[in-house]
Amino acid sequence: MNKKQLYFNIAQKGFFDMLPLNLAVIPWGILCGSLAIQRGFSVFEALLMPALVYAGAVQLVVIELMANNTPLITILFTAFIISSRHFLYGLALRKKVKGLSLKWRASIGFLLTDELFALSTNKKAFKGQIRLAYGVCAGGSFYLSWLLWNIIGIVAGSYLPDLTNLGLDFAIAVTFIALIIPNITNLPALVTVCVAGACSVIFELLTLQLSLVLSALIAMYSGYLTTRILARKANRQKSDIDNNVTNESEEQGTS
Amino acid sequence: MTLMTIFLLAIITFFSRYCFLHPSLPIKIGAKLSNFLSFSAPAVLTAIWVPIIFIREDRLAINLNNPYLIAATIAVLVSIKTKSVYLTLAISGGAFLLLRLYL
Repeated sequence: MNKKQLYFNIAQKGFFDMLPLNLAVIPWGILCGSLAIQRGFSVFEALLMPALVYAGAVQLVVIELMANNTPLITILFTAFIISSRHFLYGLALRKKVKGLSLKWRASIGFLLTDELFALSTNKKAFKGQIRLAYGVCAGGSFYLSWLLWNIIGIVAGSYLPDLTNLGLDFAIAVTFIALIIPNITNLPALVTVCVAGACSVIFELLTLQLSLVLSALIAMYSGYLTTRILARKANRQKSDIDNNVTNESEEQGTS
Repeated sequence: MTLMTIFLLAIITFFSRYCFLHPSLPIKIGAKLSNFLSFSAPAVLTAIWVPIIFIREDRLAINLNNPYLIAATIAVLVSIKTKSVYLTLAISGGAFLLLRLYL
């Protein structure tokens, strides 16, 4: 297989891995686009939201805030809080991405949504030129889809009823369920997911502003601690065996 | 004014995503931090989806009248059984629609 073909295959894999997520965000994208129009954005402004801001949760919340004439600083602060989970993504991918040229780094950075990050947890993703093609193709197809669903929402916006109470957030939840649950293959992962779920519900009920990031950090630490405890246990067992072996050999030596 | 706000928002979202990818930032990621960060995807994504399912109208909604909870339970079972994103989306999405109509 020549190099060009390899690139093409891996880009294709990126596209098809992302495809179910591209489809899953149809309702969410249409909602974001139509909401902007219904809340009095011009078509151009409504287009810039997915094209430049490119973040579903931020778009949705901020459109409502802007329609209610919320002070700018509150809007920006809210957007920052919602976006703060991305700092974790950047940190997690730093090792793989920091060595790339500015052009590729900035592209991955711009495309780094929850969905792309979920696909990039694979150890090999982004590392090396070929894996980069995978990430850029997956992320790029998600960007174009997001833009397209928003445009449909923008065009249909004035004809659609208010979609905010139709339960479209279920599509987001079920996408993440489909991505996370099958990957719980060991105890640390299970602990992480359980702690994240419990903390996020508790913090959300307490209406903590940083609920999401805080629960994630606690859950990550729980997962990390579980790995350490398991490793220590394994080490102890191993050293027990080693001790037995040396004792036995000593006994053999004396007899 | 709206345009200005949109540009500032774009800067915020891009900054949050790009910030730690920048090479000249003086951060060293050792084995421990790296292990800690390996849990970021399940941790963050779970912290996003669980409250959508369990909290309805600002209250804990653990009951059979909550279509989110029933459909999500179906989603979890299907995803364990099939490991297919498509099947999970289709089956639990269909269940959710039916539940919304009949509950």
